[in-house]
Order: sequence, then C-alpha cells, then structure tokens
Amino acid sequence: MSLIQTENLTKVYGAGETAITALDHANLNVNAGEFVAVMGPSGCGKSTLLHLLGGLDRPTQGSVSIDGQPLAKLSDDALSQMRRRKIGFVFQFFNLIPILTSVENAALPLLLDGTSPGKAKQKASEWLTKIGLGERLKSRPDQLSAGQQQRVAIARALITDPVLVLADEPTGNLDTKSSDEIAGLLKQIAREWNRAVLMVTHDPRIAAYAECIVLMRDGKIVEDKHNG
Amino acid sequence: MNLQLTLATRYLGGRKLRTFLTTLAIVIGVMVIFGVGIYLPSFTAAFEKSLLSASGQTDVMITHKTGESFSATMLNRVKAVSGVAVIGGSLERIINLPPNFYGKNSTISALALVGIDPSVAPELHEYRITQGRFLKAGDGNVAIISERLADTLGVKLNDAIKLPTTQGVVRLQIVGLIPGRAAVSNEQVIITLAQAQKLLDAPGRVNVIEANLTTKEKTESDAIVNAIKAQLGNTYTLGGLTSGSEFLGAMQMGQIIFNLFGFLTLAMGGFIIFNTFRTIVAERRHDIGMLRAIGANRATIVGFVLTEGLVQGILGTAIGIGLGYLLGVLITTGTSAVIKNIMNIEMSPVVEPSLVIVSIVLGVGVTLFAGLLPALSASRVQPLEAIRPSLGETMQRISRVGTIIGAVMIAIALAGLLVGNFALVALGGFLFLIGLVLIAPALVKPIANWFGGLLAIIFAREGTGELAQGNLTRQPGRAAITAGATMIGLAIVVGAGGMMFSLTGTVMNMFYKSMGSDYLLVPPSIAIWKGDVGASETLKAKIASIPGVGAVNSLRYAQSSLQSAAIKGAGEAAISVLGINPVEYSKMSGMDFQQGNAPDAYNALARDERNAIVNGILAATANLKVGDLMPLATPSGEHQYRIVAIGSDVLSMKINTAYISQTNMKLDFNKSEDIFYQVNLAPGADTATADQWLNQIVADYPQFRLVIGHEYAAEFRAQYDSIFIGFYVLLGVLAFPSLIAILNTLAIGVIERTREIGMLRAIGATRGQVWRTIVAEALLLAAIGTAFGILAGLYLSYVFVEGIGATGIYKMEYVFPFAGVLAATAVGLIFGVIAALFPARQASQMEIIRALRYE
Ligand SMILES: Nc1ncnc2c1ncn2[C@@H]1O[C@H](COP(=O)(O)OP(=O)(O)O)[C@@H](O)[C@H]1O
Ligand SMILES: [Mg+2]
Repeated sequence: MSLIQTENLTKVYGAGETAITALDHANLNVNAGEFVAVMGPSGCGKSTLLHLLGGLDRPTQGSVSIDGQPLAKLSDDALSQMRRRKIGFVFQFFNLIPILTSVENAALPLLLDGTSPGKAKQKASEWLTKIGLGERLKSRPDQLSAGQQQRVAIARALITDPVLVLADEPTGNLDTKSSDEIAGLLKQIAREWNRAVLMVTHDPRIAAYAECIVLMRDGKIVEDKHNG
Repeated sequence: MNLQLTLATRYLGGRKLRTFLTTLAIVIGVMVIFGVGIYLPSFTAAFEKSLLSASGQTDVMITHKTGESFSATMLNRVKAVSGVAVIGGSLERIINLPPNFYGKNSTISALALVGIDPSVAPELHEYRITQGRFLKAGDGNVAIISERLADTLGVKLNDAIKLPTTQGVVRLQIVGLIPGRAAVSNEQVIITLAQAQKLLDAPGRVNVIEANLTTKEKTESDAIVNAIKAQLGNTYTLGGLTSGSEFLGAMQMGQIIFNLFGFLTLAMGGFIIFNTFRTIVAERRHDIGMLRAIGANRATIVGFVLTEGLVQGILGTAIGIGLGYLLGVLITTGTSAVIKNIMNIEMSPVVEPSLVIVSIVLGVGVTLFAGLLPALSASRVQPLEAIRPSLGETMQRISRVGTIIGAVMIAIALAGLLVGNFALVALGGFLFLIGLVLIAPALVKPIANWFGGLLAIIFAREGTGELAQGNLTRQPGRAAITAGATMIGLAIVVGAGGMMFSLTGTVMNMFYKSMGSDYLLVPPSIAIWKGDVGASETLKAKIASIPGVGAVNSLRYAQSSLQSAAIKGAGEAAISVLGINPVEYSKMSGMDFQQGNAPDAYNALARDERNAIVNGILAATANLKVGDLMPLATPSGEHQYRIVAIGSDVLSMKINTAYISQTNMKLDFNKSEDIFYQVNLAPGADTATADQWLNQIVADYPQFRLVIGHEYAAEFRAQYDSIFIGFYVLLGVLAFPSLIAILNTLAIGVIERTREIGMLRAIGATRGQVWRTIVAEALLLAAIGTAFGILAGLYLSYVFVEGIGATGIYKMEYVFPFAGVLAATAVGLIFGVIAALFPARQASQMEIIRALRYE
C-alpha cells in the first residue's frame, strides 16, 4: 500500500458564481522513499494539493490517507499530532520563529510533542550538523542567509522522523547555488532516509532532481511520469 | 527552560517597550490597590492605638459601656460579691497634647493619666519601682512614670513634668520610676486617684474597676464573674475601655470609595492587557499558523499566550506591590501632618497579609483573564495562515446585540440613580462604564465622521484625514476597545475630580457656617473628642469677663451608646454626645438641617426635657426620625431622648453624633467640662486688647489653640487642598496606561495594513503622508475616548454626590469639575499624539518591497 493515497481529491473555494475549483478529482499515490516533483502553471492547484496532503486544510470532496490513516476521520488534535509526528513541512519563506535560535527552531516539533528540551535540542543539533549547519547552531534567523534558513526549516521538518516531507517551492526564494544544495538535500532525504518527499517547483532544473514528476493544469493532474 | 517559558520571555524581551508599557498597566493597578490598602489599616491601627488604654492582667476589669466615669460607690457592690479578693477603682483618661507641648522634637502626642488607689493598686498590678518611691495616700501633684517616658522627656527623678488638665496646666513632680513596658498604648502618668479626680474635674468618680478573685479555676471564676455582672446590670461591661468605634463606622464610606477606584484602575489594566494581547496575536498570526502547521494543537497555542500573560502578571504584580508599598508609605506620611492636626494621631504604614494575597490574586488573575479571549482567538488561527496571506481586512460588522445590551445597562444605571441606594448607585457606575464600552462601536462611525470633518480641515489637500477616518470606521470594535481604555482612565480623573470638588465645597460651606466666629479655642483633635482634655466652667467665665467679648459658646462631650434593632451587627452603636447651650450655639454656629428646622430644634433643646438633635449618619445607622424616642446609655442609667431634628455641622460630619443641652449632659453624664469654644467680640470692641487678654488666659490651658476664625478656615482649606494635589497626581498616574492602549491599537493597525501601506508608498504616498495618516487616526481615537471619558466621569461624580445625598447622611451640592474636564481633555489629546509617534514612525519608515511581499 502506498504511503500517500488520494481519491478524487477536490477543493472548491467560495460558492456560487465565484466558486473556484482549485483541485479537481485528483488521484495520486506516492510510496516511501519516492521523491516527487509537482509542476504546473501558477494557480493550477499545486499548493492546494500540498495543503490537503499535509492536513492543513480539509477537502471539499474525496479523501486523503497518509500511512494508511484517512485524514478525514481525525479530530483537530489528532490531526495536529499527525502533522507533528508523521509529516514535515518546508515552506517557500522558511517560516522560522524570529526569536528562536537554529537549534530551538529545529527542535520545535519535538518540544511540542513533549520531548524533554535537552533531548530535543541534542537531536536538533545532530540534524543540523548532518545537513551542514553545525557551525550555526546558536544563530537566529536574521543572522542566517536564505539558504541556511531553509536548511534549518528542513532540519525542523526531519526531526520527528516523519514518513512524509512536503515542500512548497522550497527554492523559490533562493539563488541558484543554494537551490541546488536544497534540492540535493531533499533527494538525499528520500534516497538515504527513505522518506516520501513531495516538492512543488516551477524550475525544471530543480524538478530534475526528483525521480518522478507530476504535472498539473487547472486543478487536474494531467501527467504522472517517472524521470529517466 | 520549557518551550512555553522560552517563547514567553523571548517575545516579551524582544518588545521591551511594549512589555514595559503593558506591564506598567498591571503595575499601576496593583500599586493603587496595594497602596490604598495600606492606608486604611494604617489609619485604623494608629487610631486604635491612640485610644487604647492599658488593660491590666487582673482577673476582672469592669468599665461602663459608654467609657464614661461612674460613681466610685459602684465598687461597694462588687466588693460584696463573694469570691472577690482584691478590688480597686481607677480613673484613666487619655490626654491629647497640643503640638510641641514638650518641645519641638518631642514625639509624644498623647499620654494616659491614670489615677490609682495607692493602698490596693500594688495588689492588682506589679509596680516595680527602680528609683524613688511608690505613691501614698495624700500625695498631691506627684507622679510615677516609666523610665522610657523619663528618657523621652529628658527628665529625672524629682524633676517635674507639666500636663494640661481641666484646671489648667499642672506640674507633677516625679517621685518614682518604673521600667518601661513593651506596650503599644500611650505612656502612663500614674497619680493618686484623689488627685486624678481633682485634675479631671470628676470628684468621687472612677471609670475602671479591677479585681482579683480568690480562685483561678475556670468554672468557679466564671460563676463569680456572673455574680458581679448581676450586681452591676447591663450598662457595665467586662473588659477594657472601648475604642472610638463610632468613628470607625464612618471609615466604611471611605473604604467603599477607595475600593471603587481600585477596581476601576484594575478594570482599566485588564482592558489594556486585553488590547495588548490582541495586538500580540495579530502580530504573530504568521508564527502561530506555522506552529499549528508543524503540529501544535489548539491547547498548546492557548498555553503559549497565557504563559506570556502569566509572566507579565507575576512581574507586574511583584513590582506593583513594591511600588504600592512606597505609595502607601507616601500617602501615610503625606497625610499624617493633616491627620495629626485634626485627630492627633501618629500613623505608620501597616501591611496586612490579606492585602498581599488579594493583590496577587487580582493582579495575576486579571492578567490571565484579560489574556483568555485573545488566547482563544489565537488558537483559532488556521495553519494555512502561515503560508498564505490572509485575504486582508474586511469590514467588521457591528454587533447589534452588544449595542442593545449596552443601552440596557446604561438605562439600568440611570434608573439606579433614581432609586438612590448607595450600593446600587455604585453598581450603576460599573454598568454605565461597561454599557458605554458596548455601545461605543455603534457610535464610532458618527463620532469619527464628525471629528473627521475637523481633521479634514487640518489635513486639507492630502486626503490623509479621510484615510484615518476610514481606517477607524473599518474596525469599529477595535477602535471602541481602545477608546474604552482611554475612557475608563479619564472617567476616573473626571469622576474623582467631581467628587472631590463637591466634597470640598460641601465641607467648606459647613465649615464657614459652624466655625464662623471671631475666635476659636480648638482642642488637639476635632474628630475624636475622647482624648481631648477640656477645662472646667471657670475658663468660660474668665473668657466671658474679658472686656470686649460679646458672646462665648462652648461644646461639651460625652460618650454613649445606643441600642436599636435597626443597627446592623451588634444592634448597638457607640455614639458621640455633644452638649451645647442652645441659646449661645444658635447665635454663633449653625447646622444643616435635613429634617426639622433651626428655631424649633434649638427651642426644644432649651426646654427642661430630654430632647436631642441627631446627625444624618446616626439617623441613617439607627433608622431614626424626628419624634422618635432614642434610649441613650449614660453612667446614670438609660434615658430616653426625643429626637427634635436631624442635622449636622462640620464637627459631627463623620461620626454618629447626638446633640443635647449642656444641662442634660450635666444631669445624665455628670460632665461639665468644655472642650471647644467659640468667641465673638462685641460690636465696636477694641480688638487688640481683647486679643491680648484672650492669649493671656488661654496660655494657662495649652490644650487649646487660640485661632482666629477666618485664619482657621484658611488653614483648613489649605490642608484640604494639599491632600487633593496628592490625589490629582495619583489620578494622573492612573490615566497614564490609557496611552498604552492607544499605542497598541495603532500598532495593530499598522501591522494589519502593512501591505496597504506598502501599496500607498508604491503608488507615490510620501513618508510624511503615511505618518500623518497614523497620527490623525490616533487623534480621532483619543478624541472619542476623551469625549466618552468625560461623559462617564461626570456621570460617576454626579452619581456619587447624589448617592450620598440619597443615603440621608449629608446634603451635598454637586460642583461641576471644570478643572477635571480641562485636564482630561488635555491629557487625552496629548496622550493620543504621543501614542501615535511610534507606530507612525514604523509605518512611514517601512521598506516598500518588503511591505508588499509581507506574508
Ligand atoms: N483561500 C483561497 N480562497 C479562494 N481561492 C483560493 C484560495 N487559495 C487558493 N485559491 C485559488 O485556487 C487556485 C489554486 O491555487 P494554488 O493552489 O495556490 O495554486 P498554485 O500553488 O498552483 O499556484 C488559484 O486560482 C487560487 O486563486
Ligand atoms: Mg503555490
């Protein structure tokens, strides 16, 4: 059974004449260890798809299961726990808490989950070191470059050993060199650590890092092809 | 440190100015409650101490329940009871001393003169003579004092100390010294009973009986005590001399008013915290959304916000208690000169443990409570808000239900005014304020439009005035909350100002009416008569014989108590009885009559019947009407006095008082000691000569201060004013936190409109224009808050004055607080501009690109 399973996933914003069908009966399966890039023109529903997969929003119709668990049945608290333990998010604008250091930011999901601060920070340090930020453990976001901030966000996404990492245009705000590094890192996450990684991007060069590309248009998945 | 605390302290630390200002709101609330809470117990403690008589370690102590003296023959009745081993009578009296009586640096304001029977007293108490000898029968002006008192006065054995008495100043030679007792009461000057009776103009009388019993065994001694009680009847009590509880009753009124202010301050503090947390949540929607996205549940988010509240609450409360202590010390020392002058008591700050607990509970509790709604709204932030910009501000709808509830509250408050119950009126004040806050959103638009017209003139050609006005009317709820905090702050200023003006006016009117004579002979305390030593009738005769003196009026005093089912609690109240000569009194002084009229009342008192005029407080306490009979406890038994009028003068303003004729006072209370005089010169008299004579005669009676009528009034006025200045400074401090409220609202406005401001700048608005928009908005907000605050303040003060009138205690005239209104307007508008400076700068300095890309 696939790690992500969606069935006729549909999201309609608004109602009546102004209703926008952002996602239209999308069916998608992703397995553990797979690195999938989602591409398509602006406004075609990529972010909406990611939000529904991550339990950030509820679908209008259809269903999502993560790791065999249908999200529709979960209460808000259970959904929060699912996001905490099984899913890691990476956002375009990093979304780090400005008043916390790299370690503290990366440790957040564990701290929220009740892990002792000492343990959580140790694990955060390990992850940060693993992805090349061992030198900047005590820095605050405003003291880091964009690429470094995104690495902190990735460490934060990985710290609870999630089964799934969702990244919405993670390189959208980075220069070419950093973009390549981040894409390489996401690939490593899928390959070496056996997570399912779903990444939205506009950039074909970045999409090339993924082993599988999903193309979308007007809320529909129009192509689902494996690289090379 | 756990995550909650880390986030709380970092967030707070990251916004030092705001944290400081918000915490200040709590600090000030707690400070006022704590400071005021110190004052009243300090006053009470000092007051009680000043009246405390030394209660001995004897088995039985008997006094008359009025505290007045009674015939020494009562001793025989007790003596006859079997089981009584030793018995002695004594005459004790607290003697208020005039200022600087023992020299400039003397700290002694009162002494206790104790007359004992030298033959039995050593069997009742231990008098360990360290130097000299004990008293013996036949001793005249000789005394025993403690070594400590001797040290304080700088006297030695065989020196003499002077003491004011009803016979003028006497000099007592010190024949013996005893060790100083660790007592809280006044120092004692011990003389023989016979001499005390002479000096206090009370021949053959005692006011304390002490006895030791043949047994210490509980049941047996109880039986003996019961037998003694049966012998004496129920006008006698076991235990020491009573303190002036008639005065403490009047303190309750003051307490209600002070508490009202404390609560108002705290309510304002709560408002400001509420507003700040709304700001915080608005600012951090992004962070909160992200926390939700990575798996924080709702409860965790609520926890984050409340922890921050808790940290601030604890911090603010701790600082507030510290500063409150200083405030309490400051008011205590600041008013102690006045209090000493009027009542002759020394105050020092007293902190009751319950006050600390109440302050902590209120300070921390209000913070948490105020943070609760914003915390809940934070928990409703959707995870998606971390990623996607919210769709921008939409028009906020005005809650019709809120407006209706608010209108109903105001209506109830106004109705309460008509009913005229003080508690209801106070409650009405609260309802009025809350009601105003609730209907405020509906009024924001019309008011903003009106003021907006004014602003349009000031900011002509720029269109920023309209923009500011639009920003306010877009979020009427938020604008109303800010204006609400300003409103409460200024309502306190105007309301308290109005009360104070009315109170001063009323008191001063009474003062001129009843103290309008050419000269006054004033005892150390004009509020607690009990400790005042007066003079025998000789002094009055001497004054009357001075060439040029036209009339002399004197006042006499006795303590009594009144039993009535109408009196709450014990069913009995201590009262002051003032003896007047109705003919002289009506010529030189006067009362404000609430029932009855002056000629009838004074004529009734002049008749050979037991008639009395009672003051408003007493009438209210015991539910008395003209024509009622009032049973007064006197040393010669209970007597029925008929009430002929209800009226007060400035001397009886604060305490339960009954006026009777001096003839009846002599008859029933056996008192003929004058404690207060008013003197008028004859028309065309030689003032200089009369003045000289008066000074010379009064010099022998230093317990009285000879003052010229209008100078005394001016002095009284000045003291009153000095208290009010302090009071206004306090009020200014109270209004200060409203600054924070305006600042916070503007700050939220700037944050929420970041994109909009960026857009304005992108299409060509200058920094100056953006700056002026924000300042104009602040001015509008401040104007709304100020207008409402003044309205509410006027209502509160009017309600207070009417409320007091309705209780039937005083007739008060409402004085419109012009100064308060002016001060409030100035403070409100200035604060508005100051509060705008920071957010306006922030908005105008914003980087355009970043603002546009925000979120
Ligand atoms: N909260 C929302 N309300 C209304 N429409 C929305 C909302 N979020 C997204 N949309 C619309 O849904 C469509 C898909 O949006 P999105 O998933 O963000 O596209 P993408 O990420 O592919 O650019 C767009 O037309 C967008 O305008
Ligand atoms: Mg998108």
